[in-house]
Amino acid sequence: MTASPAAKRKPGKLTRRNTWIAYSFLAPNFLGFFCFTLIPVLFSVALAFLTWNGGSMSRITFAGFGNFATIFKNFNFAKTDLGITLRNTVYYTFFTVPLTIALALALALALNRAGRGAKALRAVFFFPYVSSIVAICMCWRFMMMKTGLINQALAVVGISVNASWTQDKNLAIWSIILVSMWRNAGYYMVMYLAGLQGVPAELYEAATMDGANGWQKFWKVTFPMLTPTTFFVSVMMVINCFKIYDMVAIMTEGGPGRATKMLVNYIYDMSFVSPKYGVASAVAMVLFAIVLTVTVIQFRAEKKWVNYM
Amino acid sequence: MKKWLAMLLCAVLVCSLFSVAQATEKKVLRVATWDATTTAYLDATKAAFEASHPDITIEYVDLPAGTEYIVKLTAMLTAGDTVDVFDVKEVANMPALLEMGAMENLDAYIQASGFATDKYAGMDKCYTDAAGSYYALPFRNDFWLLYYNKDLFDKAGVAYPTNDMTWDQYADLARKMTSGTEGVDKVYGTHYHTWRSAVANWAVCDGVNTLIDGEYSDLKYFYDLAQKLEDEGVCRTYNDLKASGLNYRGGFEAGDIAMLPMGTWLISTLIADRDKGEVKFNEFGLATIPHAEGVPVGSTFGSPTGAAINVNSAQKDLAWEFISWRSGAEGAKAHASVGTIPAYVSEDVAEVVAAVKGFPGDAGSKAALLPTAVYLEVPVDPHASEIRTIVDEETNNIMSRAVTVDEGIANMNERAAEVLGE
Repeated sequence: MTASPAAKRKPGKLTRRNTWIAYSFLAPNFLGFFCFTLIPVLFSVALAFLTWNGGSMSRITFAGFGNFATIFKNFNFAKTDLGITLRNTVYYTFFTVPLTIALALALALALNRAGRGAKALRAVFFFPYVSSIVAICMCWRFMMMKTGLINQALAVVGISVNASWTQDKNLAIWSIILVSMWRNAGYYMVMYLAGLQGVPAELYEAATMDGANGWQKFWKVTFPMLTPTTFFVSVMMVINCFKIYDMVAIMTEGGPGRATKMLVNYIYDMSFVSPKYGVASAVAMVLFAIVLTVTVIQFRAEKKWVNYM
Repeated sequence: MKKWLAMLLCAVLVCSLFSVAQATEKKVLRVATWDATTTAYLDATKAAFEASHPDITIEYVDLPAGTEYIVKLTAMLTAGDTVDVFDVKEVANMPALLEMGAMENLDAYIQASGFATDKYAGMDKCYTDAAGSYYALPFRNDFWLLYYNKDLFDKAGVAYPTNDMTWDQYADLARKMTSGTEGVDKVYGTHYHTWRSAVANWAVCDGVNTLIDGEYSDLKYFYDLAQKLEDEGVCRTYNDLKASGLNYRGGFEAGDIAMLPMGTWLISTLIADRDKGEVKFNEFGLATIPHAEGVPVGSTFGSPTGAAINVNSAQKDLAWEFISWRSGAEGAKAHASVGTIPAYVSEDVAEVVAAVKGFPGDAGSKAALLPTAVYLEVPVDPHASEIRTIVDEETNNIMSRAVTVDEGIANMNERAAEVLGE
């Protein structure tokens, strides 16, 4: 053991005082986190193994793995509420993440220039992100009606859609994917813009000297240099996509049938409509396990494609 | 100058404290309900109760309407809210509320006050637990009627709907009443609101089928009928209504719908809205709900509304005073005075409702208030809430044409079997 003598020495008065000052600065934030996040999260983990159908907490009983048995009980898993909501959520995430990234990146590339016009457009594309989600969803619901703006616009280019998007079994989930893209692209565009600021001009200069065209510059310089941003954006988006609730609740209420019902909508129904807090918490644990797994896989894969200078 | 100002401010403060103290001398009873600001009977019962109980003030706690009501109420009660009385919006919620232990057992109060529970045509039994103990009392009892727009029938020269129509006759009448072009002068023969109850619940009117019997082929006739009428342009489509969120009340009041199957709660609303000038036609009429072949004339379905005392209330005696009054003869009169059907059955209730200013004057409408049989929309059962979600989701599936009627019914049967077989 060759620990340095400095590490063995007792911390001095000053160090201790500094530590306490640091803790005191952290305390307000941690207190809030402790009361409103940590305790509820731990309680939810515990609830997954308990039965609580509302009412006073004295009515809580132990359930063991009963709640998990309830949600996994059916052999025909694809037809259970969990199976259907899981499939819908994965479908939604699978399409929303790459499409939104592509749109955000395209916007960032197009608007990564000086000038008043570009600045104004950046604000325009960021605007949906700071607008009320309820207002946004209501407007889109009306625009996507059978005789609404979207279908009229599509008719002009020769595509005839004879249904309200939110009421059609195939289009309903796409109505949510599209609105989600439209809403979030501006936010991720800002991240890409920040990423683009970090790409050194010398690299482009060198590429130009080597005779690279615009397309080659994008794939050989811009895109690799942006991989840290893409990594961060994709991790955040996958987590957010699995958490989707509000848009579905407002635009389709999970319909038609259960065609757009997502995991969190199922958790909500189970906990607040039924109310079976234990079963709902068990579903929440399943959601947690999925998000954790996906995120761990993303971090494992990070080394293979993310480029830190 | 500053001193004077300070003293003046102090004096004002002290005075305001004094006035608050005086105001709180009156006992305040908090009652959780929905649409508190727009519901005529809530105003009427509050006024009548406060008049006969000058020391008590009723304060409504306004929760969201529709299916969100029970969600909000459950969260409130689980969090230990001390609201004194809460309305049980649907009897289907009773099992969950009993399971929560949120309601005060009323047996002792009923015994002590000699409250008569035999005045509710059996509807009081919806509010007991398996052992027969009471946990809530019904105060309203709504059932479904056929509303019609007399102006449109007069204009078309067609005879008004009668109290003995079959569903097929009703459909023919609706076709006859349909005319005009969309967006110009379209008149719809009928209107189905997007609830499962408005589209398909009619199957329970035979008194044999229920929504939780696990077998749903009895609903087929009604889905088929509604879809056929949609296809023929006789009513607005379910999809358009869902996408636009058109409310049945606004739709009917706009005056381009000839008939509307809806619950009795709309009577008082229509009367009140007409007084406010919000109804775009002169007179509405009422008929009994059409019947299926082989089902007795005048059968309909409905649902009582009850009130319970919160176990966390700090003034349970006061709460009992209110709910027993509200469900009793006095409360019944207050409800009927604005056209709401009370749960308390007495011969003159129909008379009182029919005598309300603005109620249609014809004999048929009056007779429609006296159905021969009222079956429960959804029976009281521990599985009711889950089964209802299933039937609602599959109704949505069928009516939005995502699946065929037969597929939807097969789904219902399959999913219900899973729940019932637990």
